[in-house]
Amino acid sequence: MKHRVVITGLGLCTSLGRSVDEFWRNLLAGHSGIGRISLFDASSLPVRIGGEVKNFKPGERLGEFPEAASERDRKIWLGLDAATGALADSLLPRDDFQNTMLFVGVSLETFFLEEVTPLAHAPDAVRDLVRQVMHQEPYRQLQTPLDRLTQILGDHYGLNHGRYTNCSACAAGAQVVGEAFRRLRDGTVAVALAGATDSTLNPLALGGFSLLQILSTENDRPDKACRPFDATRKGTVLAEGAAFLVMETLEHARQRRAHIYAEVLGYGSSLDAYRVTDPEPNGRGAASSMAKAIRDAGLQPENIDCINAHGTGTPKNDVAETLAIKQTLGAHACTIPVTANKSMTGHMIATSGALEAIASAMTLFTRKIPPTINRECPDPQCDLDHVVEGCRSFEGRTVLSNSFGFGGQNASLVFGRFDA
Amino acid sequence: MRTRIVITGIGMVTPLGQNPLEILRGIETGRSAVAPPTHFDATPFACPVCAEIKDFQPQSYVAEGKMIRLMNRDAQLAVVAAHLALVDAGVKPGGAYAPEEIALYGATGLAGLPLAEVIPLVKASTGSDGQFDPSRFGQAGLRAVSPILSFKILSNMPLCFVSICENIQGPNGIYTPWEGQGAQAIETAIRMLESGDAGCALAGGCDVKTHELAFLTLEQQGLFASWQKDHIGMAPGEGAVFLVLETADRAIDRGARMYAQVSGFSLRTHQPGTTRADTFGDVFKGLNLPPQPLGALVAADNGDVSIGEEEHQALASGQLTGADVIRPKKQAGDLFAAAAGLQVGLAALLVARNGRRVLANCFGHGSEQAAFVLEPP
Repeated sequence: MKHRVVITGLGLCTSLGRSVDEFWRNLLAGHSGIGRISLFDASSLPVRIGGEVKNFKPGERLGEFPEAASERDRKIWLGLDAATGALADSLLPRDDFQNTMLFVGVSLETFFLEEVTPLAHAPDAVRDLVRQVMHQEPYRQLQTPLDRLTQILGDHYGLNHGRYTNCSACAAGAQVVGEAFRRLRDGTVAVALAGATDSTLNPLALGGFSLLQILSTENDRPDKACRPFDATRKGTVLAEGAAFLVMETLEHARQRRAHIYAEVLGYGSSLDAYRVTDPEPNGRGAASSMAKAIRDAGLQPENIDCINAHGTGTPKNDVAETLAIKQTLGAHACTIPVTANKSMTGHMIATSGALEAIASAMTLFTRKIPPTINRECPDPQCDLDHVVEGCRSFEGRTVLSNSFGFGGQNASLVFGRFDA
Repeated sequence: MRTRIVITGIGMVTPLGQNPLEILRGIETGRSAVAPPTHFDATPFACPVCAEIKDFQPQSYVAEGKMIRLMNRDAQLAVVAAHLALVDAGVKPGGAYAPEEIALYGATGLAGLPLAEVIPLVKASTGSDGQFDPSRFGQAGLRAVSPILSFKILSNMPLCFVSICENIQGPNGIYTPWEGQGAQAIETAIRMLESGDAGCALAGGCDVKTHELAFLTLEQQGLFASWQKDHIGMAPGEGAVFLVLETADRAIDRGARMYAQVSGFSLRTHQPGTTRADTFGDVFKGLNLPPQPLGALVAADNGDVSIGEEEHQALASGQLTGADVIRPKKQAGDLFAAAAGLQVGLAALLVARNGRRVLANCFGHGSEQAAFVLEPP
């Protein structure tokens, strides 16, 4: 028996807000969360802009999470904030936690360069570094295992019905929502907490990504730097943040009279098998992922009413995604609205897919589509119905959300309006 | 009725070699790859040994030499193991299975950024006070960074390189960083086959724990406690193992050799406040094993005193003793994210050889614990 799956709790921590209301208000208003980087001195880097979560300090929730006292990795604290918000929003009784499955998306380990530096000039730097770190009390870790947030959340809330840490880069956030959906639909569990966290706004990650030449270097106009589907786009902008969703079977949600934002209808994933540096230029992998999600939802392409695009603002990605949408939806592609949240949020890597799942659910719930900002000079190769005039009213019943990762991992989700 | 899932291909790159049957024979005859590390000085650590792969030649398997330079060692191992598994199964994407029909699920360990590569970067980024100076990083440190650094530290890259080298385009996912996540990769692949979302799946993992940063992190995570207390313990290893899984119907249709059928699996989360023996016991209960005796057991015992004892307790309380036992981790090293692939792969070889049920324990570090039961197809 297949169970229907609904979304009953949302939590996030982003450059556009730390509550769903604030985030959604800013997204609908077309506000940009991109600014100059203040987390460290980025003045000599080619990229000096990003989507920082302002007024956020790691350790803010230390009182609630004393077990995280030694954690210095920013993404762990962002994740704790968002996941706690989602659980609170869902009003899920504590008794249900032990039967809740946990899915967490992540991408890069944070490597603490400042720990290495004092010893880097020693004659035998590696050996000296090891000895030094070994004898520190308490230990200062050079790297934090990527499942650390999963462990803390799982142990703290007693989420003991399976814990998954997915590291599928930019597809991770969508994959965790998709995998949670599949487990709920097949009846493995009745409740899941799924989401992702990331913070690439540190010297090594920002420097490393800037060397790949996929980031916009328009440092003088941060709010205009990310321009998905615009003819003058120069690249994406990195951002940090976390987003989590509480998902449950419809029976379980109804039994406890939970508030329902939207229904999850389908999930598909695919691989480009092309290059680690570029998307497959004809959008073959992306189209396959979308087609699978639509089929999984039991729908036809013409049943899709809106697309929340991956839309990074890189020259190659946006064209490939446009071609993929046209391949998948045929003539219907040009008749439905397309929005690209990254124009305002920036690219949160692992988190983006989960955050865009929240935006898709809110689109269905509030009947409003947020705009794509900065598309002032339309790219003729990206000739879909982009929502550029400001937020748009929406009476449709479905949203397709895309996430395509570095290396060619693709994931698509279909969400549906839930009528009580 | 549940769809029957069978294992038709095994690819292994381990410290005991690349030939699965020779690896099994080596384990059964007491051969060991555990020795002091040759690439770094282990004297600061409580653990003095590891299991390294000698003379690894990825260029023999990857047509595009340029691509090898983009890969870290984890990815190189994964690409070769995946290729060997597909060759062993006789599966060529685009042949019996379209590339979109083949799922790819993997696991990977901690990011293996060699400290030797980090030193020049931080040297160039040191300020006048001897501390890391982000502005100097931009001016000079970044020039010391390889443009391909991101490909070496992004955790999903092993999976992506496998997909590119083998033209696999189906459903996918990658998990991290311990033994249980390798089991989750195999479990998820099985579920994709059962649901009909894939016709064939390549599942396994890769890991490299034979360098200073890995040792440092393992020591800091308390994983060398057994060495500190009892002067014995696990030997971190390196390797990759991938398995080809198919529905029995499709495997029979294409005339594939079937090593074993996956007749059961069980995954459980270790809960704080309980013993690991309790969790291992819960895993066994979840298997709902019929009363017939096991033909063999592929034990998770990695040399760490507590894991060995807790596994033994759980087996005894589940009345699962008496079978022939092999302990691959004690000889091939603990391959962490690749360990579940090795355990299940060896179990499949034992089933094929002896025609009896085999239990593969995929216990280890982290909260997720698992076991698989294999039988003759």
